[in-house]
Amino acid sequence: MKHLMTGAMAAGLLVGAAQAQDAVTLQLQWVTQAQFAGYYVALENGYYDEENLDVTIQPGGPDIAPPQVLAGGGADVMLNWMPSALAARERGLPVVNIAQPFVRSGLMLTCWADSGITEPADLAGHTVAHWFFGNEYPFLSWMSQLGIPVDGSENGVTLLQAGFNVDPLLQRQADCISTMTYNEYWQIIDAGITPEELVTFKYEDYGVATLEDGIWALEENLDDPAFVDKMARFVRASMRGWAWAAENPDAAAMIVLDYDETGAQTEEHQLRMMREIGLLVEGGDGRLDEAAYERTVATLLAGGSDPVISAAPVGAFTHVITDAALAN
Amino acid sequence: MMADLADQRRRPVWLWPGLSLGVVAAGALLDWRLGAVLALWLGAWWLNTLLAARMTRAGILVPVIFGLTLLALWEVTVRLYGVSPIILPAPSEILAQFVVSTDVLWADFVQTMLKGALAGYVIGCGAAFLVALAVDRSLFLQRGVLPVGNFIAALPIVGTAPIMVMWFGFDWQSKAAVVVAMVFFPMLVNTLQGLKASDVMQRDLMHTYAASYWQGLFKLRLPNALPFVFNGLKICTTLALIGAIVAEFFGSPTVGMGFRIKIEVGRLAMDMVWASIFVAALAGTGFYGLMALIERWLTFWHPSQRRGRG
Repeated sequence: MKHLMTGAMAAGLLVGAAQAQDAVTLQLQWVTQAQFAGYYVALENGYYDEENLDVTIQPGGPDIAPPQVLAGGGADVMLNWMPSALAARERGLPVVNIAQPFVRSGLMLTCWADSGITEPADLAGHTVAHWFFGNEYPFLSWMSQLGIPVDGSENGVTLLQAGFNVDPLLQRQADCISTMTYNEYWQIIDAGITPEELVTFKYEDYGVATLEDGIWALEENLDDPAFVDKMARFVRASMRGWAWAAENPDAAAMIVLDYDETGAQTEEHQLRMMREIGLLVEGGDGRLDEAAYERTVATLLAGGSDPVISAAPVGAFTHVITDAALAN
Repeated sequence: MMADLADQRRRPVWLWPGLSLGVVAAGALLDWRLGAVLALWLGAWWLNTLLAARMTRAGILVPVIFGLTLLALWEVTVRLYGVSPIILPAPSEILAQFVVSTDVLWADFVQTMLKGALAGYVIGCGAAFLVALAVDRSLFLQRGVLPVGNFIAALPIVGTAPIMVMWFGFDWQSKAAVVVAMVFFPMLVNTLQGLKASDVMQRDLMHTYAASYWQGLFKLRLPNALPFVFNGLKICTTLALIGAIVAEFFGSPTVGMGFRIKIEVGRLAMDMVWASIFVAALAGTGFYGLMALIERWLTFWHPSQRRGRG
């Protein structure tokens, strides 16, 4: 009923500033942190209001799969890593990338320098702790491209499913662990380890990076011009938020802290995270770079014996929203 | 109660069929799919009522029809309403997934059930049994061990599991440790209660026979304790399985039922998640059934095990 009302009002009346706003629910893929600063800035600075949007930001967590929330009708739009979203698409949930604020991947593999690992090929025979829950795909396809089996054999990698902390590395249960430039790497540093004691491989440097933190919506909704218009306004306001956050990283981090209802985030960590996030979104205007998309798909298709997706997806992204958002 | 029965007899025979047809028709008017689902449900209900009334020994037929009806309703609802497979896959899809991944599911079963759960179960229940014997003999231990046991039982698994992974590594040993912590206290309490089950008169009689402590224990008190001990053992079967599966969420090698459920949820392969749940249900039921069988064999004398008479 509310949707009908707002739709009718937006379409027909367009009177005054007091009209009801279009509701948009955004599902984040992790807890409130500077990784999502652009959206919180857009909310705090009123960019969404200016686009006549009433945006609700839903934080995620370790056991929340954003595609499932989207499928269940719990959100209109989600942030997701492309491997996970494309896997969901192949599984029968037709999600479409409508914008890609992150142009670079922050995923890394961090190893003890004294484990004798100096290049990725040295990983054979070592133990690697990695997150799963859809985050393991880039690693699996990387190993597959290097020809290193992930079966725990003598010449292969022993893979452990780790929780979202760096303890397995600190405890030396694993020689390497997956880290993000903006989060877990700094947890290791905070634990008193110096960068010289570590060797770090950025997925971005080895051509196996996959796109992270894209904005995704359900394909069926994109047939509706009113939804497309709403999303164009959402993306435009969000990218304004990202631009402001990149220019004012410290202030943006403080805004994120204000929105962290759990109180679990610290100022120092968020300030640092915001600066690292700034490097990942730098130079992007929200439009998906098709070359990066093709690289992501190629990486996923090369996922070894158990590839993430079995065929190149068709229609998994659209420029319609970003074209409309950037037009005016 | 009698009035209810009399009421039921006065009802006209066409009441239930008529009412059912009405409900199906109403459902079909709203949405033909709803009508189909309702018709299936009421038809199966009617069939079961008929069988239960006509056949004095309907036996296993009635629960089987009930189970099949639930599965059929699930299948039909998912298909007719086009429910997304990442929300709820149809039973046929789950079965198909189960059939093609038996090797993976078997490896998971061996890792979680036979290594993690069973090792933890044997160590935890065995230790609790021995400690119960010691506690029973010593007032000092009664005052000291029971509060500690209570404390261990109250530890949340989400807190202990990551710690056990740090202490005992990623493999099944840490899962067994979680299981030990989970099963220890229920087993201890049940065994202690069982050791108190023999009454004073019986113990006095053993005393007049000049029976030693051990003779009294093995010939009187332990047999009397068995129903309680098995109660503990049966409770612990499900606890062990839950513990072993959930513990894998917090770090594991790339095999195991908990690992499978966790990563396949992340991949949105819900058919595989349900196939793993199916294996877990089978394993849990089988484990419990096995303990119940052993109980029946060992405590045939107990009133709760008597059948067919009275």
